[in-house]
Amino acid sequence: MEDSEIIQLYWDRSEQAIAETSGKYGSFLCRIAWNILRSHDDAEECVNDTYLRTWNAIPPARPGAFRTWLGRITRNLSLDRWNRERAQKRGGDETALLLGELESCVPSPHRTEQHLEDQALADLISSFLRALPKESRVIFLRRYWYGESLESIAAFLGCSSGKVKSSLFRTRGKLRIYLEQEGVSL
Amino acid sequence: MKAQRLFQVLGLLDEDLIDEAWTYVPEKKASLLRRSPWLRGAAVAACCAVMCTFGFFYLVTGGFRGMGSAAPETAAPETAADSADAGNSSGGSGSTADFLSYAGPVLPLTTLESGTGLTAQRSLTWDFAPGSYDDGSPRQWGALVTDDYTLTNPTGSDISVTALYPVTGSLAGQGTMTPEVTVNGSAAEVTLYAGGYAGTFGDANDTGGSTWNLAGPYSWEDYAALLDDESFLQDALKSGPAMEIPVTVYRFSDFSAPHKTYDAATQAVEFTIDTSATTILSYGFNGLTSDAETGWRRYDYFVPDGIRNESEQKMLIVLGEDLSGYTLQGYANGACEDPISGVSCTVIREETTLSAVVTELCRAELSQHTDESQWPGLSQLPLPLYEKAAAELLSEYGLLSDTPMDRYTDGRLEDLLWDALAMDRVLYLAVPVTIPAGDSTSLSITFWKEPSYDFGGSGTGREGLQGFEILTAAGSDLNFTGQTTAIVHADGVEILEQDLGFSQEDDGTFVPLDLTRDVYTLVIRPRTRSE
Repeated sequence: MEDSEIIQLYWDRSEQAIAETSGKYGSFLCRIAWNILRSHDDAEECVNDTYLRTWNAIPPARPGAFRTWLGRITRNLSLDRWNRERAQKRGGDETALLLGELESCVPSPHRTEQHLEDQALADLISSFLRALPKESRVIFLRRYWYGESLESIAAFLGCSSGKVKSSLFRTRGKLRIYLEQEGVSL
Repeated sequence: MKAQRLFQVLGLLDEDLIDEAWTYVPEKKASLLRRSPWLRGAAVAACCAVMCTFGFFYLVTGGFRGMGSAAPETAAPETAADSADAGNSSGGSGSTADFLSYAGPVLPLTTLESGTGLTAQRSLTWDFAPGSYDDGSPRQWGALVTDDYTLTNPTGSDISVTALYPVTGSLAGQGTMTPEVTVNGSAAEVTLYAGGYAGTFGDANDTGGSTWNLAGPYSWEDYAALLDDESFLQDALKSGPAMEIPVTVYRFSDFSAPHKTYDAATQAVEFTIDTSATTILSYGFNGLTSDAETGWRRYDYFVPDGIRNESEQKMLIVLGEDLSGYTLQGYANGACEDPISGVSCTVIREETTLSAVVTELCRAELSQHTDESQWPGLSQLPLPLYEKAAAELLSEYGLLSDTPMDRYTDGRLEDLLWDALAMDRVLYLAVPVTIPAGDSTSLSITFWKEPSYDFGGSGTGREGLQGFEILTAAGSDLNFTGQTTAIVHADGVEILEQDLGFSQEDDGTFVPLDLTRDVYTLVIRPRTRSE
């Protein structure tokens, strides 16, 4: 079923909308949640919460890129859950590792700082990513948007995990420099 | 928490980027298809014209490497000048990867150790002061590159690292680079390591998957991919594959033949093997005829006459099950159709290891390359480096591999040993460096950089141009705080294409590089005497 038809089902308040969403994007969403939470039960709950949030959001929303829109909800829910569970010291080591990597993107606070709203900062980073070679961009987003492991990305690209690691290292360094040049602080 | 905010912010990135990352279809490394087949054909033709002087066997097996020093001299300056405009007007022609002979980029320093906390400031100088030919006349070819680094240790403890400076080139060509490394102004002791073959095997004109030709690397991305692969560096630093394989060697010597009657008298040795149990490597033989179904083989060589310039070292190396017997037969010539009498030799059978054979033959190959004008310093190449390169080639691509390349299926070791010298690699200059706590150490690498170019007569319109590239980050574990570059002694060259920010008048003015860019390009044309 086309995304527009699924969205119309939400608008029609047909519960078939959730079944269609689950059928089409369930495994995609589970993968994102699993990448962050590393727990099948927690991941499943986050995906179910995603359906609930979607049900409540549409209408009035009519998302243009439905898959990304769903993924974004799952990602946010998973991160919230990861934070809660980290406080209880269980699970989520991979995400801690991932966030540790992102620390190296945080610009040094030695310039005139500019505190940007999240969306403005995201737009800035989108511009940065567009200037990267496509493969570097894909590796970065597969790691830090989808939360994929280095090995998983390497298998996807048909290269070594060393190459993925090195690409991420370079891109993080460039992003840090870019944000510093833009005078951004986090 | 900052990282977590960044993670959340990333969730708001443009949807098309997120979608692209999920739907992206990885590209196969199809370097062979990047260029038009006719162009590669032209390159081969131009190259072969030069290679004729090297004799039949190099014509079949040699690569483009090392022919470069001769090729550009055939370029017509006016043709090069005409091509300059074309180069400037077309965005697609600006990449040095478009040159038929690609020399590879200048690469950034890295360290063996990762996460050292060191910061680095880089300043790279391109010196276009002309060199000279043997007769003393000026020669504008390539550039002397000086790559300076200031390594700073912001921590409270001294940091000792092994600095690794990668350069593109071949074992045969490393002598022409004459790299010099200084640490805090004093000459440093450098250890040379060689990465594996940087290209692939293939034939752009054959869609059937032929692997007879060396193919690539063709672009800076090919090199960046190698440097980004940690295993490539690890393989370069470790010892080569074990060659302690028992072999039986048949040595041929004490040659005799009626040379006055037959100026191409040939000695052949025939036998039949079970190809599933026996593998044969040869050295010093000129011909091989075989029957795949029966396992029959005939190896032959022109009987040395003291006139032809060829090795008298001739051997068959048997891996696995030994020969059950063989016959010797003399022939009037290499066609092996007219048997003659009076051809003889001594055959000595010995049991040894493949390692010993490789060592012996590598030494023999190096002893043949004593012409310093052709391959400066090659005879002084560290033997272990050569042995390792040969062993890697033999085990990864030769008959020791489960899937040998077509190029090496006949088991001719002289071909493989020459390839090991001539094929493109990344060479690493390793230097131990200690950076005191809270202090800095300067490291400087100077070497001659061969340019990328188009072969004379290739008809591309870019003959005579010389291309260079600089990579800012590929494979480097250093945290660069800045990079700059300058051009000096540029009176003899015209800058045709560049994205570095030089002006033709600049002489020693450093311009900053954007560290978010991977590569910068410079294309020059040597000025003629009348300019």
